[in-house]
Amino acid sequence: MRAVVAFVFALVLASVQAALLRYLGGGAVPVAMVLPIVVYLALHAGNLDGAVGAASVGYVVDLMAGEPKGLMMFLAVALFLCSRLAASGLSVQGAVGFVLLSGVGTFLYGLAALLLTRAVSPAESAPTFSLLGRMFTEAWFTGMLSPLIFAAMRWLDGLMAREDPSLLR
Amino acid sequence: MGFIKRNREVILVAALLVLPLGVYFAHARHPSERSRLDRMVLALTAPMEKGVSRAVGAILNVWNGYIALHHAHERARELERQVSVLKLKEMEFQRVKEENDRLHELLAFAQATPDWRVVGARVIGVRLDPKGLQVITIDRGSEAGIVRMMPVMVGGGVVGRVHAVASSTADVLVLTDRNSSIAVRVERSRARANVRGTGSPESCRLEYALRSDDIAEGDVLVTSGTDGVFPRGLLVGKVTGLKRSGQGLYQRADVAPAANVTKLEEVLVLFPSEERPPAKAAGEAPQAAESTAGGKP
Repeated sequence: MRAVVAFVFALVLASVQAALLRYLGGGAVPVAMVLPIVVYLALHAGNLDGAVGAASVGYVVDLMAGEPKGLMMFLAVALFLCSRLAASGLSVQGAVGFVLLSGVGTFLYGLAALLLTRAVSPAESAPTFSLLGRMFTEAWFTGMLSPLIFAAMRWLDGLMAREDPSLLR
Repeated sequence: MGFIKRNREVILVAALLVLPLGVYFAHARHPSERSRLDRMVLALTAPMEKGVSRAVGAILNVWNGYIALHHAHERARELERQVSVLKLKEMEFQRVKEENDRLHELLAFAQATPDWRVVGARVIGVRLDPKGLQVITIDRGSEAGIVRMMPVMVGGGVVGRVHAVASSTADVLVLTDRNSSIAVRVERSRARANVRGTGSPESCRLEYALRSDDIAEGDVLVTSGTDGVFPRGLLVGKVTGLKRSGQGLYQRADVAPAANVTKLEEVLVLFPSEERPPAKAAGEAPQAAESTAGGKP
């Protein structure tokens, strides 16, 4: 159920982001609003539920901007696993931890995408490391916005966890 | 069986990690079109993008037309308030004039290319993703007769080509995407080269320009028409940072794109004259310029 919620929320968020960026610098400001969902799943979902949710978020990113297909889905599951490891190793807690994990995760996600794209692209169309600055900006803005995504995901989790009143009778 | 049951979670998570990677490497060698499922999911996002776009536009209108005015009312005297109202009106006139100028520019372009028909579209989404594709979403799709690889322009120059089409929207791969390569000619010396995107929205680079070719900084680049996508003579950009090394076949340069992909509002999709865009449904509001260029029927 969490995976379905993550998928639908990622789809809504990606659409809203595309429409809003038109008014905020016309795309000059890069941001990846769906990636904090994966970080949230890493911190609050089970292994399987979270991995499926992360894969579904990756599918959405693939649909929106991924080519060749599959890369973003793979990276989303990898981000889920790395965030989970980092969270358990560094005991990430609170909003600051979430912001840091989202920002760093987004930057590493972009970096891995760049390296893997370079691995399969012909030399003339391979992305260059000059994009690192833009990726850093993307990570910064994503980290700054991540508390909003965190709050939204927690609200959605609350909706799902709410007990059916009829069961209490 | 016991092993699989015990390690079910690990196996499934590993599969979720390995399968997409396999798909990625397979697609890297044999690129494929979007599946029916992909298109269905994308079709779900189009109304959301349109809805958000309209909602933000409406909020901005209310803000500009009422709330800002209300603040002025509280702060200023009667005369100052009237000045504010007039200024707002002037801004509105200016906005309408600028839109009118842009549409005139598009119309002038349409009339100057009699072999091509054009359909106007508004930009409803922007995805200039540094780690993925650089695309803009327009509010016209296959229902308007748009198909993949159609050139997309603004009055100022080439924007890109249609990359994916849904029924009522289309994604345009902009010229600054690193997968975009446009065959160009230097307008002054007629030297040929390619303009390739870098993934950054403000710059492209010049490729395959022979070292012996006469190219200088500030040279204007226009499409050569040899790539089978863009008609010849469309403005692409200007040569900025020319680097001519002492060896090698080619010289390299940066290119400043003529069209600023971060400031697009309306664009034109070009149809070859034999491909006639279908008539719009009755009652549908016109989105932007739609023209039968060159006065042809």
